[in-house]
Amino acid sequence: MLHFTNIVVILFCVAGTMSFAADTAEVPTFPPEQVEFFEKHVRPVLIARCFECHSSDARNVEASLLVESRHALLAGGDSGPAIIPGDPNKSLLVEAIRYQFVEMPPKQKLSDEEIAAIVKWVEMGAPWPADNLKPVEVATDDEKELDWNALRESHWAFRQVQSPTPPSVVDQSWPKGDIDRFILSKLEQAGLKPAPAASREVLIRRAYFDLIGLPPTPAEVDAFVNDASDGAFARLVDRLLESPHYGERWARHWLDVARYSDGLGGSSDGAHQPHAWRYRDWVIDALNRDLPYDQFVRLQIAGDLIDPVNGVAATGFFALGPTYASDGGDPEAVAQAMSETLDDRIDTISRGMLGLTVSCARCHDHKFDPIPQLDYYSLAGVFNNTGIAIRGMAPAEIVQQFEQLQQQINERQSHRNAREQEFKKDGREPTTEETEELARLDAELHQLRTTAPPAPPYCHALVDSGSADMKLAVRGNLLRLGPVAPRRFLRILTGDSPPQFTQGSGRRELAEAMVDPQNPLTARVFVNRVWEHHFGAGLVPTPSNFGTTGEPPTHPELLDWLAANFVKNGWSIKWLHRQMMLSAAYQMSSQYDEHSFNIDGNNRLLWRMNLRRLEVEAWRDALLAVSGDLDRTVGGPPVDNIAVPRRTIYLLVSRNGDQVQPDEFMRLFDFPAMRATVEQRTSSPVPQQYLFMLNNAYMLNRAELLTTRLQREAPGDGERIALAYRLLYGRSPKDSEQQLGLSYLTASAAGPPEEYQKRWRQYAQVLLSSNELIYIE
Amino acid sequence: MDGGPSQVDTFDPKPLLTKENGQPFKMKIEPTQFNNNGHTLCSPWSFQQYGQSGIPVSELFPNIAQCVDDLAIVRSMTSEFSEHTNANYFLHTGSGLQGRPSMGAWVTYGLGSESQNLPGFVVLNGDAIPPGGLDNFNSGFLPATYQGSVFLPHGTAVADTQPLEPKPELQQGKLALLSQLDHGLLEQMGANDAIESAIANYELAYRMQGAVPELMDLSSETEATQKLYGLDSTFMPTQVFARECLIARRLIERGVRFVELTICGDRWDHHTDLKNGHYHNAKGVDQPIAALLKDLKQRGLLDETLVVWAGEFGRTPFAQGADGRDHSPFGFSIWLAGGGVKGGTIHGATDEYGYKAIEDRVSIHDLHATMLHLLGVDHQQLTFRFGGRDMRLTDVHGEIIHNILA
Repeated sequence: MLHFTNIVVILFCVAGTMSFAADTAEVPTFPPEQVEFFEKHVRPVLIARCFECHSSDARNVEASLLVESRHALLAGGDSGPAIIPGDPNKSLLVEAIRYQFVEMPPKQKLSDEEIAAIVKWVEMGAPWPADNLKPVEVATDDEKELDWNALRESHWAFRQVQSPTPPSVVDQSWPKGDIDRFILSKLEQAGLKPAPAASREVLIRRAYFDLIGLPPTPAEVDAFVNDASDGAFARLVDRLLESPHYGERWARHWLDVARYSDGLGGSSDGAHQPHAWRYRDWVIDALNRDLPYDQFVRLQIAGDLIDPVNGVAATGFFALGPTYASDGGDPEAVAQAMSETLDDRIDTISRGMLGLTVSCARCHDHKFDPIPQLDYYSLAGVFNNTGIAIRGMAPAEIVQQFEQLQQQINERQSHRNAREQEFKKDGREPTTEETEELARLDAELHQLRTTAPPAPPYCHALVDSGSADMKLAVRGNLLRLGPVAPRRFLRILTGDSPPQFTQGSGRRELAEAMVDPQNPLTARVFVNRVWEHHFGAGLVPTPSNFGTTGEPPTHPELLDWLAANFVKNGWSIKWLHRQMMLSAAYQMSSQYDEHSFNIDGNNRLLWRMNLRRLEVEAWRDALLAVSGDLDRTVGGPPVDNIAVPRRTIYLLVSRNGDQVQPDEFMRLFDFPAMRATVEQRTSSPVPQQYLFMLNNAYMLNRAELLTTRLQREAPGDGERIALAYRLLYGRSPKDSEQQLGLSYLTASAAGPPEEYQKRWRQYAQVLLSSNELIYIE
Repeated sequence: MDGGPSQVDTFDPKPLLTKENGQPFKMKIEPTQFNNNGHTLCSPWSFQQYGQSGIPVSELFPNIAQCVDDLAIVRSMTSEFSEHTNANYFLHTGSGLQGRPSMGAWVTYGLGSESQNLPGFVVLNGDAIPPGGLDNFNSGFLPATYQGSVFLPHGTAVADTQPLEPKPELQQGKLALLSQLDHGLLEQMGANDAIESAIANYELAYRMQGAVPELMDLSSETEATQKLYGLDSTFMPTQVFARECLIARRLIERGVRFVELTICGDRWDHHTDLKNGHYHNAKGVDQPIAALLKDLKQRGLLDETLVVWAGEFGRTPFAQGADGRDHSPFGFSIWLAGGGVKGGTIHGATDEYGYKAIEDRVSIHDLHATMLHLLGVDHQQLTFRFGGRDMRLTDVHGEIIHNILA
């Protein structure tokens, strides 16, 4: 049921193998005839039927159980000792082969004779030849063996963030700032030259889509193209960072990390979470006011504890995640559901914020990164003491007052209804007195309702539910418990003995550990995500996996320079945007160059800007903007139909991706399933997308609106074509393109007016479907 | 066969159930979904031996029974889940949790498609998408290109294939203009993979406008063929499933790599009134499935097409209430036929009550490994790097069922 490799617990190479602590002094000896019985009737069965999964040669040792020595059987596996010599009915091995416990061997039951032989052998006291009685060497997970300092030095991402000096470069004229020195130095070493600067038209379109996810208007393009003064681009960037649409664009990037959806997932997905959007709006607002990233992280983990009024909605980061419930009530299903829910929390915080695949340590120690299984449960313990509640986003007294009054109203209403029932009992009409009483009750209720304070806003939030450590779950099974895992942060990021979390669930302490400047990952992971959205690929190409199985950074020094200075500059995300966008690297053209392509075809060293395909949100928003139909309202409850011209971030989306009207459209254009934190969007231009563009009524409608707008705003075909190019692509058409358009339109100009109108609509639809709209140079 | 067809009523006869019908069930009963367990319940249907192989088939499937020498029946299938959603994810993706790529996506990712005009992985939706929804056909972490495209077995089959312009030359004119614009863009940018592949997909979309209606036009099939499948059936589920099976053959002929059919009407989930429910379900699929096997064979396609008949789990040999059967994942029957399969074979066995598989147990991972093997893919080599490791359809499991290979 769990999906990680089953292996015997072996911790990293630094953990030496150790001997079993079995007492070798008490090894019994057995009479030769008993040993012979074992050799003849038992050992062959063990070898033939059990060794495949339960010997040291097994590809994967199952349940940590080895059956190749008496000691190993006595020590047992995950479920405890496999044999109790002399007592077959209490021996798990016997229960298993009888199919009374787990059913072993799983493919085919042993024959009755084989079972009888093993039972008899256990009865005899499990005889075994003497030379095989000595303890065997097996790996252990004795954590005292781990040298955390050495481990932290063993992989780039676990080392402290450095503040490297920008390297010197040959071409002094190209760099506009420190970022460029890091980029250029690598290019020069590889014999590459940066691409020329992008044109002003290309640059403004790139900046608009990057920062606010909308195209610039023709007037905005003109103003920028004609602004010859110093700092024109810096001012443009500043202006866009002040736009309320900036938060909408960048919130969506974060909502992918937060696997945000309006639905619950699973079979309850249809019932959408009514207040989910409060978290979405909190993210938009936090970005718009440049909430420092460390605080952004703190509030999402413990906002209810830090700032119960303004921070509580932030905890939707976890509270809106998939929360599993069992179908029935049987203990195994309940445990499985809890275990999945905890895993969602661990996976989201660790991959999303730390770039670590901590979830791999749910059932066993992480196979590749120094994350013992115990550390998984140290983090899980925090969420094991955390519940989910719908909470008011107002001071506690106000919420309480409101709720008490509402309860009072409900009680009075029930009382009134009950009275009416009494009066009408047996079908009789109420007396005059009774009618008066009802009227009085109604008046009171009306009074209460009209004077009641308005409902405070509500959100889905976390709430502390306890303060206890949990135990490690053997193989991820919460019904099989191992040692206590003290609540504390990951040791690979803190050292041998990180302080234990003691206040409530420990979320507040966890939040502090996440943003501790000594933590080498939080800042690195975030600056890399921002880089990815500006440049089309991260410096670390696996943005949610900085562990040993992820890809190493192409520019490690630049990554550290960015992370260190990001923290130094108060974790300001807007500072980060400015640094990146004002670099020469950002302002390069995406022009192809054969020489460079042959050396670095994947553009890992960034010799040109990457061509990027718009995500579904920005593409649909662009369609709305250019056809003059965009409703620019910021925030509020989601809309449940793509025909509503609100920005795409406000469309209702389910977790399963097949519950609500916008799902089909969103999924068609690569909106990811919000099952788990999204590492990066995929971009797959499947034919069904183009069928949508060619034939869907939505596109027809956009094309009609665009045509109307063009005809309203420009006098003749030539001017209209020019306006269309400026609206859609941010540039004027070339002569050949003008001609192409004119000849397409005039093919029917002589025909009846409806024909001409249709022709325009077709032309507009082609322009809207063109790759030039959906790709950003 | 969404819902979980009962093994003891279909391909795994158990005379002992008849002998002990109505008596307390003699084996230890595992927890069931509803825990409303009744007594031993015999099959309301009799079994007869068919073909050279003499394999017994229930009277529920008189037509499929005629093809029994082409079937390899696995009677020792097991699943890890006894609830529909998880069991369906498990059957489709090798994981009981939502979000992994479907086997159709893996196969298309591994083998590509031979069709120039249609997607590589098509789901024909009779009207019952299994519990778990479209995620049963999803591409998960594989690129979205490989996700299942859901076609309806009637009407236009796919959204937006109906050209917006009434006259073909108008639609063509639009595409020509688009192509000119896009080639202009390419010239301006220099060589570019992304744009080139986008143009290719535009062209595929355009071809689908023609290919899908052509696919769906069953009038080119002879009357005999239409009758063979049951297109003329007055029983609606048969008629719909007949269309699905016939369209499936046409998809395969057109080079589509992986086709999945979902049933029409009720699921095989008869917690009550098994006799009536299973009867109607079987009636809905028996003739069309047999027709598909025969038709593929007579066209020489069966030896290069793998046909798999499976539900997500089986049902209890004891009653739920008085006359139903509850879910049971401990031992159930599925079958494979066609390319590379040794027909007329029975693999594995359940106990004498048909409750638990006791011989040559087969896991869902083993089924996937075998299917991939038959398609010419090593299940241990078909990997995709995600979340820091090389993911497989079979995770770290899977053993090929050699006994059923030709």
